[in-house]
Order: sequence, then structure tokens, then C-alpha cells
Amino acid sequence: MDVTAQSHNFQRDSVSYIFGDHDYTWLPLKHDHESRPLWITEDGHIILEGFSPIAEKAIDFLITISEPVSRPSHIHEYKLTPYSLYAAVSVGLETEDIIEVLSRLSKVPVPESILGLIRDCTLSYGKVKLVLKHNRYFVESSHPEMLQKLLRDPVIRESRLVGDEDPNSNGALITGKAPNAKDLSIPGVKKDVPDPNRPANSTDGAAPGTAAQGDEGIFAVVGLDKDDDDVENDDVHSFEISSASVETVKKRCNELDYPMLEEYDFRNDTLNPDLEIDLKPITVIRPYQEKSLSKMFGNGRARSGIIVLPCGAGKTLVGITAACTVKKSTLVLCTSSVSVLQWKQQFLLWSNIKPHQIALFTSDQKEKFLGAAGIVISTYSMVANTRNRSHDSQKMMNFLKSREWGFLLLDEVHVVPANMFRKVLTTIAAHAKLGLTATLVREDEKIDDLNFLIGPKLYEANWMDLASKGHIANVQCAEVWCPMTPAFYREYLRESSRKRTLLYVMNPNKFQACQYLIRYHEERGDKIIVFSDNVYALVAYARKLEKPFIYGETSQQERVRILANFQYNPQINTIFLSKVGDTSIDLPEATCLIQVSSHYGSRRQEAQRLGRILRAKRRNDEGFNAFFYSLVSKDTQEMYYSTKRQQFLIDQGYAFKVITNLDGMDQQQDLVYSTPEEQLSLLNTVLLAQESEADLNDDVEPDADDLTGNTSRRSGAGGRSVFSQVGSSVAGGSSGARRTTGGLNSLSGGDQMAYIEYNKAVNLRDNKNKGERHTLFKKYYDAMPITLISLNNDEFKVDKEVAERSILIKNMLEDIGETDAPIPLPNVSSPVLSKVIEYCEYHRNDPIQTQDSPDDPRKRSNDIEEWDMKFMQVDQEMLFEVILAANYLDIKPLLDVGCKTVANIIKGKTPEEIRTAFNIVNDFTPEEEAQIKKENEWAEDR
Amino acid sequence: MVKAVKGVVVECDSSVKMIILGLNEKGQFIIEDLDETHVFVDASCVDQLRLDIDEILNENTYKVEESK
Repeated sequence: MDVTAQSHNFQRDSVSYIFGDHDYTWLPLKHDHESRPLWITEDGHIILEGFSPIAEKAIDFLITISEPVSRPSHIHEYKLTPYSLYAAVSVGLETEDIIEVLSRLSKVPVPESILGLIRDCTLSYGKVKLVLKHNRYFVESSHPEMLQKLLRDPVIRESRLVGDEDPNSNGALITGKAPNAKDLSIPGVKKDVPDPNRPANSTDGAAPGTAAQGDEGIFAVVGLDKDDDDVENDDVHSFEISSASVETVKKRCNELDYPMLEEYDFRNDTLNPDLEIDLKPITVIRPYQEKSLSKMFGNGRARSGIIVLPCGAGKTLVGITAACTVKKSTLVLCTSSVSVLQWKQQFLLWSNIKPHQIALFTSDQKEKFLGAAGIVISTYSMVANTRNRSHDSQKMMNFLKSREWGFLLLDEVHVVPANMFRKVLTTIAAHAKLGLTATLVREDEKIDDLNFLIGPKLYEANWMDLASKGHIANVQCAEVWCPMTPAFYREYLRESSRKRTLLYVMNPNKFQACQYLIRYHEERGDKIIVFSDNVYALVAYARKLEKPFIYGETSQQERVRILANFQYNPQINTIFLSKVGDTSIDLPEATCLIQVSSHYGSRRQEAQRLGRILRAKRRNDEGFNAFFYSLVSKDTQEMYYSTKRQQFLIDQGYAFKVITNLDGMDQQQDLVYSTPEEQLSLLNTVLLAQESEADLNDDVEPDADDLTGNTSRRSGAGGRSVFSQVGSSVAGGSSGARRTTGGLNSLSGGDQMAYIEYNKAVNLRDNKNKGERHTLFKKYYDAMPITLISLNNDEFKVDKEVAERSILIKNMLEDIGETDAPIPLPNVSSPVLSKVIEYCEYHRNDPIQTQDSPDDPRKRSNDIEEWDMKFMQVDQEMLFEVILAANYLDIKPLLDVGCKTVANIIKGKTPEEIRTAFNIVNDFTPEEEAQIKKENEWAEDR
Repeated sequence: MVKAVKGVVVECDSSVKMIILGLNEKGQFIIEDLDETHVFVDASCVDQLRLDIDEILNENTYKVEESK
């Protein structure tokens, strides 16, 4: 690089330092550069003037030979990579054509290094094709010398078939001759490309039309250069290989740096039965869909590869059209069972396939299609699963494996891990593979693997282009900067990194901005989806703003109900969604999207979410815009993630507006958290929330490991009185004042036990470190039962794990160390203790609940699990005994269940009924009673 | 005997003020906390304060590195 930099001595000016190595001032311009649209730099970047009159043609050419990096409206950037050149060759471009066209379009002479790159890549890549014709495999190339080279390799020579039955039986002749003439030439193989023998020609819908269009498409791409046509007229040379050795030959060719391109000559495939499928006559495919398919069926055969189209641009239809063109048995793989159903429905909608020819293979539906050929729709995980299967799915799997598939359609290819793909591709025998995706980006850069597993990228659409032509909605993207309130920012600076997430998500200003935007857009008549990856925040926001929400734990019926309401009920215009909205829900369309908190820096997720509003039906209305907001707390880490996430959309040409101040928000009345007091109480709740709440893992209960770290953070709330808990349960868990005096704990001196809760975890750690036992003994001690002695001197033997549900016993054990001495529990009688042990046995595997957060959703409700409900069906005496025991033994969940049960008994009863229920004697005089009634008039339920 | 301390009024936005308050917990230099955006600090600490704030702000601002 230094050498080139020196060799291009040029005047550096005042801004040169900004560009560093990317300063190309020295590149000599051609004298007529103004009419040429692009620059080519030495490192393979191509900069295109998007406003040039021939830009459109140049773009067609560039997306064939290079990968788009960034495409704002006026200047596009592309990059030449080996893969993209590989793809270019696969659609039939020749080395010299590429160079010729490039130098014609370029303002500057094409650098030597680029010429070298193009030659290197195109010489070896894609020149050799593996073609399946008449169910025999041929290695095909238009360059005889390449086949000769391959045949010189011993492995490949062995697998070659020189059958006498060969119709073009030059085979015998050739072997007799010198080895340098070893190629079979099958002239005119490609001459039938302008489909005379294509069934159901142009009269009948778009499918055959596509392929016909395809050829034109290719010519258009290389049309800049007239003498390209000779590719089509060239002789094609080939030799046959045995089908058993296909795998080895393929591998060998890769090693020899001649990766083979796979093509499927589906029209000449007579072994696999045809599938009666065609697009319905009313189905019209859009120009870009046609173009993408033309890349796939360019020469009358099906190529394997990937097509990239934005969400909502009709990827499904492209897939279906491709299937209609191939007309063989098709296997469709998608990411979730929801999309399986969607695919089926789309197939029925767009094509004339009979319902009985489509089979689904999911965890709850395992069917086979009737007849010789058909379509199977399944998910990646179903097919790639190698663990135990049920009998039914094993049978289905065998069915899938046993047959040859004409066409394998892979939906959302970018999300599937490479090793899962390998598994799928090795188990399923498919002739042609088509991957569909919206975002060919991954944060782990594993995307390159797809090139080899499926094939090159055949087509990538320009988002802006589609939007301007009205195929997808126009979107206004905005990033709203919400300043942190001082109190929140102070805590943000102090807190650990995990808790920080929670603080910047729960920023009151963000709440207000969110509320303001929802209100504004609801008034405009928009349908709004609010995304929050953080479940804690999701629940808090939705509850506060009184909107329906869906997250991982929401039941299926509830989801359906909410979504249906959102779709059809004019009263419900806003829903809140957690990450489940990204994959496992069939989301209705919306016109406005607000992101409250988002998963670190995933570009894919951002693009996928944008897709929700791209398909809006109203997009063709005059001046219609969809809106996409990201709410970001200023001066926090979120700014960074947000910027990173946007990168993909920016590269697609979207401009993100930064909004620092929402107009008119100050004038809004009754915004939430507008007073400092409210903000402060919010801050308190956030600070009390468990650290694990900040995790973005999908709605999964925090696991037990997390909790050990939190033990020391426990607040004094552990010693809350039984009765205040009952009270707060009844009141719906308001986080208001909490009465601690007069509780059973304090009266019995139980408050003093708080000492146990603070430092024991530390002690435990020290003890363990000091007295590290030999593993042999450790196992023994862990398995050793603990003996508990009740008030009645009865002995109870329980597992350590079970006994440790009681924090009291747990701490005690930690204090005295490993011992087999029985533990006396003088406050608990035998029947009660056995009842408690029963509870602990059942719940032995639950995570230990240590921290007492008032906002825990479980606490808010009076819902009790079914088992617990049954467990608590005892007489009142026992119920209170159990509650007292739970309090004494410090078994938080049991205490909660008990209190909730009591609360449920009290709920909705008059004082008289409560008195009878709890055997309370009314010892008030009538005067006293009247007095109390008067004082508490407000509480009366009228 | 009256002791005079030379001070400087610092004007900043509320988040920076929180940073200043945070720093003040380590070494006392705030003379008077005036309001949301103003604070009156010991003049001798201004230079050090500037450095500290820069450092913390750097920790809290993020740049997207060139993704190449």
C-alpha cells in the first residue's frame, strides 16, 4: 500500500487527513468522465452516482457482479468480493465481459489489482457446473481445458462414467484417443432455452413467462456489451459421473479450487413426477420479483442461490412462483410453526394447488401428501432435530429422506445456524435450493457460510427503489432522544452495568415520549405496535399506559384475542410486544412502530421490525407515511446500540431523523410521571427490581444461579408482617405505605431474625472455601437426609434440598456446618410440619425466591397455582398454622400462597361475613361501630 | 476572621450536573448547589473537574466503529 501511495504523489489538501488511505484524488479521470457513472478504487469499492442517466442500467450490472454496501438515494457504494464475482459467473457473465463493462462505466481506469481480482475469481469460480439431466449427473463446462484439468485428477477420473449406453457415445471414442480430448461435447444443449418445449407457454399465467423474461433479463444486464450473446451459443462440454460419487467429486472440485455450480435441468427430469401446480391467472408478479426469478432460471435450468428482498415485498410469492416454475415435489422450510401455516395459506392463495397436495410437518401436524408429488412445509428444527423423535415424526422424517425433492425452499435463511443447515442439506436430497431473506446480515459474520451451503446471492432488491415505486410503504425513521431525568442519571452512573439497562429503559422522560407519540398517532388513526425487548419494562409501560401487551408467558388464547382486537377493534389501536413479536407471532400490519428498548445492536431485528410497517395496505394513499421511532435515553449506552442497529437501514438508504425535542409535548396535560414524586417512586421501584430483570433473555424465569448474587442486596423487607401482606394482596399489591409495626414478626421478636439474612451468604462462601470436602464425601453429605424434630418430638427425615426451601433451616445448616444432628423446630407441630414438607417436596426445584419486590407480577395478582390451590384446601386452623410456620421457617413462596388464600377468603365479604368466617366476636359497642363506619366511609363499597 | 474562598459558577445540563455531584462525593469541592443546571464550585478544583468530567463523558459516549 505504501508503494502505491508513494507512486501516486499528489497534492494533499486541507481535508486529505479525513480520508486517510481512502483519498483517491490522484486517480486520473478519463476525459469524458462526466458521462460515466462510477469510480472504482483499488480495494474493490465501487462508488456510483445514483443520479446519472445510465445509473439504472449500471445498477443492474453492479448488483450482479458486486454486493451493495450502502444505497442512499444519490450515491451508492458497492464492493467487489470473490463471492459476488462467483455469483456473477453463475448467472453467465464472462471475465472479459465484466472487465469490459466496468471499464466502460468507470470514470477512472480500472485498477490493475481489480482486474487481477476479477480474473482470479472468475477463472476458477462457477466455470464448472454439476448438471442433473435425465437423472444422470454431468460435469459440464464451456471450457474444455477445464474439464481436462479435472479429469487429470485421479479421484475424479475414477468416478467418471464411460457408459456405452450413452446416447452421445463419443465416450468410447474419446477414451480411445489421447487424454487431451477427453471431453464430450453436447452441442446445442442450451439452444432450447427460448423455451419452445416449455409446457403451458405464455398463454397461461406468469410462471412460464418468468423464465422467458429471464433470458431477456440476462441480456439486459449484460446488454451493455453486444458480443455477450456468444455465451449462449457456445458449445458446452461435459462428461458424466456416477451418481454415487457426486459427493466426492464435489468435494474434490472444491479442493482443486473449481467449485461446482449446481443446476437442475428440471424440464428434462423424467424420473421425478411432475407436480400439477401453476400460478392462478389473477396472480401478477411485480417487476422486481420477475427480475429476481430471472436470475434463478436464467438459462432454463434452476440455479441454487439466495434472493434478498425487503420484508413485505412478497418473498413468499417469489418462492411460490419458483415452485410453480420447477413443478416438482417441493419442500419448504421456515422458522416457526406460525409461518408454516402462513406458507400453506399463501400457496393456496396464489397457486392452483389442491389442499390435499400440501402437507405440513410440525410438532402437532404430521401428514403426507396424496399422490406422487406434492409440497411439504416444515420448520428447520423439525428436520434438523437428531434427538429422539416420536414414532410419527420419525416416520415422516423417513418419508422426507427417502425421496428426491425437486426444489428446496428455505425461508429466512439468515437466521439459521450453519450447522443446522448442513444437517438439513445432508439429510434432504434436493436438486435446486432457493434461500429467501430480507436481511443478509448477521452479527456473527457467519453469513458467508451460506454462499457455500446454498449458493450465491442471486438478487438483492433496493429498498428505496421499491418504496418509491409503491411496492413497500414509505417510512419515516426517527430516533427520539429522551434526556435522562437527573435522579435516574445519578443512579445510572452508580449502578452496575446490568442494572443500567433497566434505568435507561425506565427513564420517565421516555415514558412520557412514548405516551405522547402513542396519543399523537392514535389521533391520526394509526395502528401502533410498541416493542420492548425488556419484559420488565414492557409490563411496566403497558400497565402504566393501560394498553394490552403480549410476552412470552401470555397464553395462546390471550394472544389471539389481543391480536384480533388490535386488528379489528377500532378502540384498540396500540399493543405492546416483547421479543416474541419478532418470530413466533403472525403480526397484523401496523402503520407506526415505537421501540422502547431493544436487543443490543442487532441490525437484523431492526430491519425485521421495520418490515411490519412496510406492508401497510394504505401505502398507496397520497402522501402516506409509516413511522418508525426508536426511543433512546440520552447520554447512555443505548445511544451506541441504537446507532449500531440502524446501520443496516441506513445502508438501505433510510435516513434517521434525530428528534431531541418532541414538539408540543410540554403542552400535553396529564402525562405520566410528570411530578418529581411520581418519578422518585418509579426510581425506587426500578432500584428494587432484581438485576435479572434487566436481562433481555426471552421472558425466561430468572434461573437459580442468578439469585445467589442477589442475596446480599436483600432489603429489610424480608421481615414484612403477615398481615400487611394480606392487606396489600387484597388491595391489588399497591406499592404504597407498608405497615410493619404490630405484625406478628415484630410482636414475636421475629424482626431480630433479620440478621440471618444479611451476611450469611458471605459466610457460606467462606465456609465452603475453607472446608472444601473431598468430592467423594461431598456427594455423600449432599445426599444425606436432614432430621427435623417437631413440637411433638416427632422426627421427620427430609432431603437437604427439600429442607433448604426454608431459609431458616438453610441458614442454620450453613451456620453449624455439615452435621447429622437433628434440628429442633419447637414452634411447629407435627401435622403442620408434614404439611409444610409436602409443599417443599413439590416445589423442591423452584428457584429460591429471595428478593421481595413489590412489583413482582406474581404478587400483584391473587392467582394461585392449581397445585397450591389444592394444597391450601384445608380447614382454617391448619391454614393459619401453615402461614405461621411458613413465616417462622422463612419459606417465602409458601407464605405468599397462604396469604393469598386468606385474601381470597376475605375478598368481597361484608364485615359480618368475615367475622363468621374467622370466628371473630363483634366486641364493638354500637356507638363504636358507627364511629368506625363513619371514619372509613370512603372504603365502603357502594 | 472571615475566610474567603474563590469560586466558579458552572453551568451545565442536568446529566452533567449529576456527574459533578457524583464526583463531589469523593472530594468535596462544591460550595453551593444552586439549581438544576448551575453549581458553584471551588475555583482551585476547576481544572481537575474538567478532566474528570471529560473522562466520564468519554466512558458514556459511544461511537460505531467502521464495520468493514
